[in-house]
Parts: sequence; C-alpha cells; structure tokens
Amino acid sequence: MDNNETVIRLKNVSKTFVIRDKKVAPFFTQLGWLVTGKNKRRIEALKSIDLEVKKGEFLGIVGENGSGKSTLIHLMTGFYKPEKGGTTEINGNFIRLSLGLGFNQELTARENIYLNGTVMGLSLREINAKFDEMIAFAELENFVDTKIKFYSRGMKARLSFAVAIHANAEILLMDEFFGGVGDERFKVKSDKVFKESMIKGRTIIHVSHNLSTIRHYATRVILMHKGELVGMGTPDEVFQIYKDKIRVDKLNLRDYVDDQDTI
Amino acid sequence: MSRSITHYLTKHLPENNQWERIWILAKTDFKLRYYETTLGLIWAFLHPIIRMVIYWVVFSYILNQNIPNYGMYIFSGLIVWTYFQEATRKGLMILRNKRYLYENIRMNPYDGFTSSVLSTVINLAFNVLVFVALSPVFDIAFSFQVLWIFPILLNLVVLVYAISLILAVLNSFLKDISQVWDVFLLGMFWINPIFYAKTLIFESFPALMYINPIAGIIVNLRDALMYAQAPDMSLFWFDWAYAFALLGIGMWVFNSFFHKAMEKL
Repeated sequence: MDNNETVIRLKNVSKTFVIRDKKVAPFFTQLGWLVTGKNKRRIEALKSIDLEVKKGEFLGIVGENGSGKSTLIHLMTGFYKPEKGGTTEINGNFIRLSLGLGFNQELTARENIYLNGTVMGLSLREINAKFDEMIAFAELENFVDTKIKFYSRGMKARLSFAVAIHANAEILLMDEFFGGVGDERFKVKSDKVFKESMIKGRTIIHVSHNLSTIRHYATRVILMHKGELVGMGTPDEVFQIYKDKIRVDKLNLRDYVDDQDTI
Repeated sequence: MSRSITHYLTKHLPENNQWERIWILAKTDFKLRYYETTLGLIWAFLHPIIRMVIYWVVFSYILNQNIPNYGMYIFSGLIVWTYFQEATRKGLMILRNKRYLYENIRMNPYDGFTSSVLSTVINLAFNVLVFVALSPVFDIAFSFQVLWIFPILLNLVVLVYAISLILAVLNSFLKDISQVWDVFLLGMFWINPIFYAKTLIFESFPALMYINPIAGIIVNLRDALMYAQAPDMSLFWFDWAYAFALLGIGMWVFNSFFHKAMEKL
C-alpha cells in the first residue's frame, strides 16, 4: 500500500455564508429588504485553508464551537463548494458519521439496520451476513423488532456504533461521533473495536471536543480558530497552542484546562 | 410482500449497492405512510375506492354529464390526478427530507429523487390494481390495448420527476413555493377532464389540452383502460416530448443549483 497517496486535498479554500436575519418589521419593509439586502450578513466560516490528508492518517480537528470544523468537513466531502480560486478533492468512498445518524424513530432496529446499512454502502447480502453480529455487539437481542423511539439514548448510540463499524468506506469523517458511548463496560468494548477494526486501514478525520480520543489515536492534529487554520502538529504540540493562545486569551482558564482532557 | 421482493432481489440479482439503496429508501418511504395505522396496507386499497365514491356521488348530483359508467370514468381520471398531486407535493420536499443522505455519503444526487419517485409509483400501482379489480363489476372488458397504460403512466412518472427536480431546488431558496404549488394544483384540478367529458375542453379550449400535459395523459389512459382503444397518437407523442423538455430543464436547474440549494437548507 502506498502510504504517501493523498486522499483529501484542499487548496486555498474559503467559504462565506450570507445569512438573512429575521427581524420584526412591517411587511413592506421586509419586502424592501429582499431587494436592498439590508438584513444580510456575511459570515466568513473558512479563510483560505490549505490542507492535505494522506492515506491511512488519523487527522484530529480541534477548535471551539463555531471555529469552522464542521464546515471544513462539508468542504472535504464536496457537499459544499469552495469559493472561487479554491479547489477540493477527495479520492475514495467516504462516509460522514455524526451522532444520531440517519435513524428513523418510527422504524425498528432491524429496519434501521437495513436502511443505514445500504446507506453506508453495504450490499443486502452483506447486511444479512453481519446482522446478528451487529445486534450482538450492540447488545440489543431483545429489542430487534422494537421501534427505536422507545430506545434510550445509550441504546441508540450503541446501535449506530455497531452499524458504523461495518461501513463500506476507506475514509471516515467523524463529526462528534465517537466518545463516551454507553456505560463503562461498553466503552471498553467499543474502544477495543474502534482501535482494532474501525480505524484500521482507513483514513480518519475526527472532529471532537473529547481530546483524549484524539490524544490516543491522532497522527496529526489541526487547530481551527475563527475560520483559520492556526496550528498543526502532534496532539501535544497542538493542545499546547490551544491552551496557550486561545483558551487563555478568552477565558483565562489555564489551570482548569490543564486538569481536564475534555474541553 | 416487500420483504419477499427484497429477498428475491438479493438472491437472484448481482450485488449493486446503488440500486439496493434506492429500493430500500423507496420501500421505507412507502412503508412509513401506513406504518402506524391498524389497517396498514389495506388503506392503500381503501383510499382510491372511497375517493372515487365521494366524487361519483357528488358530481352525479351537481353535474349532469350523461357519461356511461361515470364512477369508473372518474376513477380513471383520479388515478392520474391523485398521483400527480401527491407525487409533486412530495417531490417539493425531497432535498429537505434527504439532506442527511447528501450530507453523509458519496451518492449520485439523482438517487434521492429516484427513490422518492419510486415510492410514489408503488402507490400508483396500487390504484391501478384497484381499478383492474373493480372493472368486472362495472362491465369493463380489457383488450391488448390495455398495454398502452405502461408507456402512458411512464410518461406521467417522467413528468413528475422533472417537476420534482425544479420544485425541490426552488423550495430550498423560497419556502413559499409549497404554498404557490398548492394553489396551482387547486386550479389545475378543474381544467383536467377528471369528472367531465373531454369534449368540453377539446371543443372550447383546445389549447389547454396541450398547455397542460396531464389532460392528454388522462384522456389517453382512459382510452386504454376503459374503452379498449389505442391512444390519440399526436397527444401521446406531444406529452412525451413535453416530459422530456421539462426533464431537460429540470436537470439543468438541478445541476446548476444543487450545491447552492443545500447550503440554504
């Protein structure tokens, strides 16, 4: 396997959103805004980002809320298009995983597994073959034909994790997906599977506030701040910048942060 | 039944994730419609019958149409009309409802439309089945001309697909579109020969027959289904050309504005 192959490449990528604020005003005033654009605001979500991700990397993305992490993921997958002058490229099958992923509350676990399995690129034959394994892993043997609206949060998280392990994709983009699933016993089990089969051989992009996962697995971390890429390096290097520059700038929480892995 | 179809497909067809996904999505859409109800799938049969009876009773009192077999006349018109109405209303919402797919996986953006339209086609098939089941009761005999219903209904489906592409994109920029479309449908109901004779339009407003492609589809479907006749070929080809022209426009709109539309949602 050629490990130097680039699977994701962003060049000079910027993204600005134009939003309209909803204010209370007379109808004709609002109609006027449609023409003048007076209620419009420009939000610069990303500012000229250059980034390459190599095959097999585990890239952690950290930053505060609203720093552009999720927008960055959307640009990587091509869901959003960059502004003029920027290019994006992704080579290979990918899946973006986020919590609560495409589950339909009205459907049973069985039906959701088939629905989400095909969405994640599994053939029906593969789902048939792996079905029992997924249910056993999620420990939901007694609730296979129960609508998942009756599930607890933990049960849903276990089920989505059990399906996602088998995703048919070389690139997984996890947007706050993994971390703290279920109780302690399940956490140990899922950590093991995460390490031994989920991330093995795949390219992982991992957005999370849970820094301990990133510290354990990430081969490289980038730090986003107000739409800019302000730091890149090993987890320890980047966490240091995070703590020194950004958190202290704003909140003076240095002592607090040093004790905590979760920011 | 759907489970056995799925079972058959997995057993005998080569593995193809794209089409399996489209099928599972369509099946789920269809299933959710009747899921919570006690009667379940029976509603898919009951609905068209009840609708037909209501229109039949009402219109035979207020309109003196002298159309033989009036109940089935209305039914055949309603097959086309209710499909068009329900499917385009649903088409309007496709980008909203399927956002989670576009956001999370690599997928041909048209697949979301294909699955949604396919789920409404299941409903259309139920309506046609009910018509066929009722036809002996009303002395309707079929000839091989009945096979024309397939290209005619396919024409309708292509039309719905094209309109869905346009409406779904518009709907993400301007939510008022769903209100506008509802008003449009309300008006359109009355210019279609659903409960009155086609001669009423043909003679008074022949242009309407061509501006509104649904009228031609209703007339032709009825000829094939009720009167064992071949369709009016000029109308038939005109409506196909109409559907393809709209499909061209729809695909252009969709390809040009899909990504912009998703950002607005």
